[in-house]
Amino acid sequence: MSLLKLSGLTKFFGGLQAVSELSFEVQAGEILGLIGPNGAGKTTAFNLIAGFISPSAGEILFNGENIGGMKAYAVTRKGIARTFQIVKPFKKLSVLENVTLAAFLRFPARREAEAAAGRILEKMGLGSKLPALAVDLTLSEQKRLEIARALATDPKLLLLDEPMGGLNPTEIDQASKLVRDICRGGVTIIWVEHVLKAIMNVSDRVVVINYGKKIAEGTPEQVVKKPEVIAAYLGTKKR
Amino acid sequence: MRKILPAALILLLLAAPWIIAKPFLVHLMIMVLLWTVLGASWNLLGGFTGQVSFGHATFLGAGAYTMMILYLKLGLDPWYGIVIGGLVAALIALPIGYLCFRLRGPYFALSTLAVAEIIRLIALNWESLTAGPVGLLITTLPRVTFWGKAINWESKTPFFYLAVIIALAALLATAVISRSRLGAYLLAVREDIDSAEAIGINTVQVRVAALSLSAFFAGLAGGFYALYLRYIDPDAVFSIALSVEMVFIAVVGGLTTVAGPLIGAVFLVTLGETFREHFLVGHLIFYGFFMMLAIRYMPEGIWGKVRLWIKKPATLGNSS
Repeated sequence: MSLLKLSGLTKFFGGLQAVSELSFEVQAGEILGLIGPNGAGKTTAFNLIAGFISPSAGEILFNGENIGGMKAYAVTRKGIARTFQIVKPFKKLSVLENVTLAAFLRFPARREAEAAAGRILEKMGLGSKLPALAVDLTLSEQKRLEIARALATDPKLLLLDEPMGGLNPTEIDQASKLVRDICRGGVTIIWVEHVLKAIMNVSDRVVVINYGKKIAEGTPEQVVKKPEVIAAYLGTKKR
Repeated sequence: MRKILPAALILLLLAAPWIIAKPFLVHLMIMVLLWTVLGASWNLLGGFTGQVSFGHATFLGAGAYTMMILYLKLGLDPWYGIVIGGLVAALIALPIGYLCFRLRGPYFALSTLAVAEIIRLIALNWESLTAGPVGLLITTLPRVTFWGKAINWESKTPFFYLAVIIALAALLATAVISRSRLGAYLLAVREDIDSAEAIGINTVQVRVAALSLSAFFAGLAGGFYALYLRYIDPDAVFSIALSVEMVFIAVVGGLTTVAGPLIGAVFLVTLGETFREHFLVGHLIFYGFFMMLAIRYMPEGIWGKVRLWIKKPATLGNSS
């Protein structure tokens, strides 16, 4: 059984069909890249899986259970964590407090929650920033804080929404390594990204969507050769 | 130092009616303590969760009417009436919370204003229960003995001690909550509701819990207020002006801190009562003036500013 299975997932915003009959599966332990041009419905798909909006139709099966329409906090408790495309740290709290709040979900006692948060932050390379206020971090650090906070809820599935947007090439290489490390640690990852080089290097499989529909699926090498994908990204040749 | 200072203050407070025997000054201290409770109540919601309520008079009024009606109709001792008043306010907060917290930011604030007006109008028109605009009046208080002596209700001293107890309870509750997991969750809600949901916090439930706790203390204060004044009517306990004064006290004192509401109340009530002598409702002009000064020059409030000078800002488990 796959860890996550979307079947016929559909979302209307008024007359606009933002996600349309989207179906794909994610196996435990893999990194799945979700790509597509701007406005293709990637973030909407994330919001549907994470429970921030409820589907108009279709199913989201997580470990065989339909979680479509569940509230976001309930989805997180089931074991799906997410990051936001535009980072949303608890700005006026410290780095350690940001992650401790998330760790409370699995460790109700403050001391244990803080210890768990400290371990995760160390792994994310933020070990020296524990007392700093989240608002004072650089963008790259805030992106890692966002991932650390998601990891502190001890997820089985992690949804990363453009973790590399706005990073420089060096930071992108570091972030790529980090994503692979997280996956090796036993967390399955779905990853939305515009930095194609990174996603092609890191992902096991890629799903391409456009206008809310899946137009291609396969290994990175297979997907980039498909004419539909090239058309979606570069446009079609005029006759 | 951290333990001696509050203890010394409490001792000084307990001896105050003997040190300062003037009835007006004792009245002033009672009002300061009453507004400390109301400021602390508003702070629990508005400070910790950042959810701005313009309708907190609802809970004050609920407590006041509960105490009055139980005493006048059933003869229940005002002591129990005050506590039950707090519980009734906390209970009323549950449906209000579940309805209004579907809204965010300014829309939530407006909905609290609307609910407060609805409840004021109910109190004004449900004459069989509340006597409507005529109001409720306590003519005689029950004979209560304390250590063998009958309490003299004509003196302000018993009210002073009652106010001390309620104010200490409110401040203690704030201190306990600010160190708890719930307190941490409240701050997460204040900082970012979406992120709070994303880390598994049921933000509606957490906000409703904060509102209900907050309402409990506003209800206690309301019951005490009615007992102290011995007369209430809907405009006296459900008015928007009361709701707004709670905001002033909490903000000027310092949001998200434990002692902030006390500092805010000392400052604003003293000023207000002094000016009230000369200008009637003029005290609200000064409240507004100090609110503007606070927003411009010390948005963290008086106590928040002092804390910045002496230690780090209020965060998880560190908000004296």
